[in-house]
Amino acid sequence: MDASWFVVLSAFIFCIGAAGVLTRRNPLVILLCLELMLNAGNLALVSFSRMHGSLDGQIFALIVMVVAACEVVIGLGLIVAMHRRRLRIDVDEMAQLRG
Amino acid sequence: MTVHLSVVIFLPLAAALIALILPRRLTAPLVFSATLGVLGYAIALIADFDAASGALQYVTDAAWISELGVRYSLGVDGLNLFLIALTALLWVVATFAASLRTWERPRLFFFHLALAETAVLGAFCAQDLILFVVFFDLMLVPFYFLIGCWGDGQRVYATTKFVIYTLVGSLLMLAGAVAIGVLSEAPDLPAAAQALAGVSAPGGSRLSFSLADLQARTLPAGTQQWIFLLFAAAFLVKAPAFPFHGWMPDAYRATPLPVLVLLSAVLSKVGVYGFLRVVLPILPEASLHFQDLMLVIAVVSIIYGSVLAFSQDEARLVVGYSSIAQLGFITLGIFSLDPKGAQGAVMQMVTHGLVTAALFLIIAALALRAGGSESLARWGGTALRAPVLATLFLIVALATLAMPGSPNFVGELLILFGTFEDKLVYGIVASVGVVLAAVYTIRLFQRAMHNRVAPDVESRDLSLGELATLAPLVAVIVGLGAYPQLVLKRSEQATTARVEQASKLAHRTARTAAFNIDRRW
Amino acid sequence: MSAGSYGWLVLAFPLGGALLIALGWRLLPGRSAGWIASGAIFGSFLSAIGALFALLEREPEARAVTSTWFSYAQTAGLSVDMGLLIDPLSVFMALVVSGVSLLIHIYSVAYMASDRGYARYFAYLNLFVFSMLLLVLAGNLILLTVGWAFVGAASYLLISFWYRRKTATAAGMKAFVINVIGDVGLVIATFLLFSETGAVDYAGVFDGAAKVFEPGDTTLVIACLLLLVGAFAKSAQLPLHTWLPDAMEGPTPVSALIHAATMVTAGVYLIARTHPLFELAPTAADVAAIVGTLTLLFAATVALVATDLKRIIAYSTISQIGYMVLGVSAFAYSAGLFHLMTHAFFKALLFMAAGSVIAAMAGRQSIDAMGGLRVAMPLTFATFTAGALALAGAPLTSGFFSKDEVIAATLDRGGLYTVLAIGAYVGALLTALYAFRIVFRVFLGEPVVEARSLARGQLAPSRHENPATGEQEDTDVGFPGPEHHIAERERSMAAPMGALALLALLAGLLGVPAVTHVVDRFLEPTFADSQYIDQTPSDGAAYLGLAIGGALSLVGIAAAYLLYVRRPALPLVLRARFARTHRLLSSRWYFDELFDRLLVRPTVAAGRFGNAVVERFLVQGALVDGTSAVVRAGSSAARAAQTGQVRAYAFLLILGVSALVLYFLSGSV
Repeated sequence: MDASWFVVLSAFIFCIGAAGVLTRRNPLVILLCLELMLNAGNLALVSFSRMHGSLDGQIFALIVMVVAACEVVIGLGLIVAMHRRRLRIDVDEMAQLRG
Repeated sequence: MTVHLSVVIFLPLAAALIALILPRRLTAPLVFSATLGVLGYAIALIADFDAASGALQYVTDAAWISELGVRYSLGVDGLNLFLIALTALLWVVATFAASLRTWERPRLFFFHLALAETAVLGAFCAQDLILFVVFFDLMLVPFYFLIGCWGDGQRVYATTKFVIYTLVGSLLMLAGAVAIGVLSEAPDLPAAAQALAGVSAPGGSRLSFSLADLQARTLPAGTQQWIFLLFAAAFLVKAPAFPFHGWMPDAYRATPLPVLVLLSAVLSKVGVYGFLRVVLPILPEASLHFQDLMLVIAVVSIIYGSVLAFSQDEARLVVGYSSIAQLGFITLGIFSLDPKGAQGAVMQMVTHGLVTAALFLIIAALALRAGGSESLARWGGTALRAPVLATLFLIVALATLAMPGSPNFVGELLILFGTFEDKLVYGIVASVGVVLAAVYTIRLFQRAMHNRVAPDVESRDLSLGELATLAPLVAVIVGLGAYPQLVLKRSEQATTARVEQASKLAHRTARTAAFNIDRRW
Repeated sequence: MSAGSYGWLVLAFPLGGALLIALGWRLLPGRSAGWIASGAIFGSFLSAIGALFALLEREPEARAVTSTWFSYAQTAGLSVDMGLLIDPLSVFMALVVSGVSLLIHIYSVAYMASDRGYARYFAYLNLFVFSMLLLVLAGNLILLTVGWAFVGAASYLLISFWYRRKTATAAGMKAFVINVIGDVGLVIATFLLFSETGAVDYAGVFDGAAKVFEPGDTTLVIACLLLLVGAFAKSAQLPLHTWLPDAMEGPTPVSALIHAATMVTAGVYLIARTHPLFELAPTAADVAAIVGTLTLLFAATVALVATDLKRIIAYSTISQIGYMVLGVSAFAYSAGLFHLMTHAFFKALLFMAAGSVIAAMAGRQSIDAMGGLRVAMPLTFATFTAGALALAGAPLTSGFFSKDEVIAATLDRGGLYTVLAIGAYVGALLTALYAFRIVFRVFLGEPVVEARSLARGQLAPSRHENPATGEQEDTDVGFPGPEHHIAERERSMAAPMGALALLALLAGLLGVPAVTHVVDRFLEPTFADSQYIDQTPSDGAAYLGLAIGGALSLVGIAAAYLLYVRRPALPLVLRARFARTHRLLSSRWYFDELFDRLLVRPTVAAGRFGNAVVERFLVQGALVDGTSAVVRAGSSAARAAQTGQVRAYAFLLILGVSALVLYFLSGSV
């Protein structure tokens, strides 16, 4: 089994995730797609680790998982806060950083 | 190496810092005594000054930022001796006048007043270019707060405008100063880069910002020209000169009167002093190249300032526009590039400072007697029961219009004589300004003191406090009028040395034309 | 004591007097301020006499003493000392100034007695005398300018003495500004002379000028013309004369002192002092002579129709100074200066008598309201007539000898000067005419109300109003006092008037041609370097001139008698016939209107333009508001990118990353 196919697969998953971030308006879905992108990155790291025969990629994948977990916590917290204030769960409505 | 000048400069700041932690009623006396101490020191400096030598005296010269070639270098010569004395005297008067009123947050107010004195004295004493720029910019900070926190009317707008105007100039000047320091050591870009790289090298660099060193090294003419423009921007805004005077009306309206005394009488001089101390000795070719431009600006300032001065209704603005005109005269004297003109400029700096300070104190007294109003339309006939005020105001008014017999006349005479040497036409136009000065000054005097007593005016004579602030100034004006040689003798050596190079270049180009009398026509 | 020390004493007395009165005025009771001031001037007069004798002790060639006290300003090639020059010319002027001032001080002691500003008046008066003496004794051009300016300032203070009167303060401002114009002319002239000769003291300038300048040199001519600007501003010659009639707003003794005897003669003194320069630049001297002649004719014509008593005498002064200017510009120095002296006597006398008349008229100054005061005021009448006779140049009076000496010397020069001399004779005729117009209108004829009540012993109460506008006033500081004083009742007014009357009639004996040459001989050492010193008219020509002048003055007096006593209806007929001329003359040839349109209005308009347009639009609008508008526009352009939309930011992020990746990929491939 050629490990490069896994890299291609990871590229596909990354693009699907990116498209989802760019086009969906529900923040929960955006978070899901962000997870997709991060996992695609993980997949790429692991397959490169397999290709080069070193463990660096797999260890880095663990670190990425930590980051993903932290980021999801904050994102979900923001969504719950939005819900508590009865705001519409819609990313386009949150434009308070407008200049 | 002496510490005298460091003491003179930092004494007010030290007193103010101590006053910050002491009870409120001690603030004003403490700061006032510090200013008296500085004045005493200044008088001792004058008495002990050696008029025959043109070198710096009471020199302090210590390494400060040796990697950048910046030294903590102070010194007194004929050029800044009397400016230091003027600063000291006017701060005594202004602090005393301020202590007669009550202020909100007095400790902070007097702190800023003292910090301003330190900055101004430092600017006058500095003999290192970066040190000069540091003090020049430091001057701005206390005045920003003094106008913005304790002023009247549109004070925040006024102080913001004032700061932005001055900062634009100052930052350009900083760029110019750095350029002088780097480029005088290394005239072209690759060498400059190398010199800058050498800054962090262990042995220190060969950069130097000491004024004496910079005067010795010459810059190429093209470089001098753009650096000249950078410095001119800063100094012309400070003066102020037309057309950079836009900050003046609002700032003069908003500033509280004791502070306005200092702003008008002392701060404006630092700019023109900078021309004589920094620009003319270090950038002589550029000074010659831009001589006509600067003379035009000077003459336009004189005429514009005078014409506007006599069409104002607010007394403060009459004096403000008159200051534009008087500073125009000083600039005229400096850029006549003649020793007489420069001596006249130095004399005029001192006498204009004295006269303007006295005028603002008188305006304060008059406003008190007119229900707080400073509008000339509401004044009139104040002389009725106020003979002492009338007499002192008359003496100051006659000095303002440079009547022969006043020290201002000697200054203007020397300035005009210096200008007439090579630039007769500019001098003649400037003489029109002399006539206009008579018009606006007498108008101010008559509107305030003569004609029918206005309905809101209560004519009473000077109180003891008012007299105490005004009498010393008038005494100095009259004394200098009788014996102007006091200033001229001591300032001659240093001033002529500063103008020497530019003057030589100027006369060389003027005299290549046939040397006969008709060259003027 | 040496002449130099006497010179300093001459200056010290009036300055000391002024300071004493100024500082101690609250402590001085009653009229003592006046006596202190008079005493100070008396001391000055005595010192001047001392200086005179000290000079006479010396040989004629050595009668130029310089005395330096300290160095006033010495820098960069310019060296100005606080130094005096005591020579015959300066001592002559000092004697005239201090002598006449003394008499006027004594007169003022009574005249100003009820004024609330009594002490202030005498402090100013002493200060003025100090300034004038400084001017004539100064030893260099800069100190001359200082004295010049001080005289102008003292004159301003005295003209606007009643400072609550709008008319007085306006007159003071006008006088001061014209004086400053003169100062500027002096300064520029001093520079031109300094730059070529390197000196500002008289000896240095005159010697240097002789060496450096060719006769008729352009620079020298221009310098002399600028000196003339100063001289004409101070001496009220055309076209800088408009301040003098307005200066009559000041108290009458001020008019007597400043605007008759002393300040206005400063211009004549200047030309006489700088005569070596004018002799090297005859063009400038010709200009001065022409201006002098035009002025004397102009002023005489205006004096013929003016109705305010003091203003008639003021125009007479302008006219007589024209004679003096003509004299010194025709290089007849002692003639011009002799006329200066006699004029000081009779003009001061005329003003003093006029003051007495105005006091009797309760402050009214129009001669249309006066008449028949001869009976009620015999002393005033006698002294006024004496002065008028001298002014008209009636035979054997002082004015006769001095004025006709000037005209004879002018005639003797020939060429252009013959024409000017004819003009001067015409002026003499007019002078006699207007001088006796006043005498006949005021003192002869039907007595008016005030005259009749005065004859009964009742002085009319003063009206407390501005004589020009009729505005009501009070009698506090800043306005005239409650009482008026006339010569018949006050001895300290009568005595000086009597003394001056004697001098006006008899002083001519000092300069009778071919008989006495007192003034000529005394002034000779100063003018010894002049090339024209020996060009005096022959005795025959001098006596012919005297005859013509005497005849003209008698004709003028007779004509005045005809017009104002025998046929009083005739002047009205003439006025109707020559209405346009009359309007021209009574509007003073429209000079005031001319200056108003040419100078005053444009400057005021410029000020308004500056405020409304330049300040608002250029400085505030373009620089300040313009800069902030530019900055605001720039930042709103930049703000367009900040939508606040998360997805837009994410898109830009991805775009940027892809671009980077592509860049590096393409770079490595």
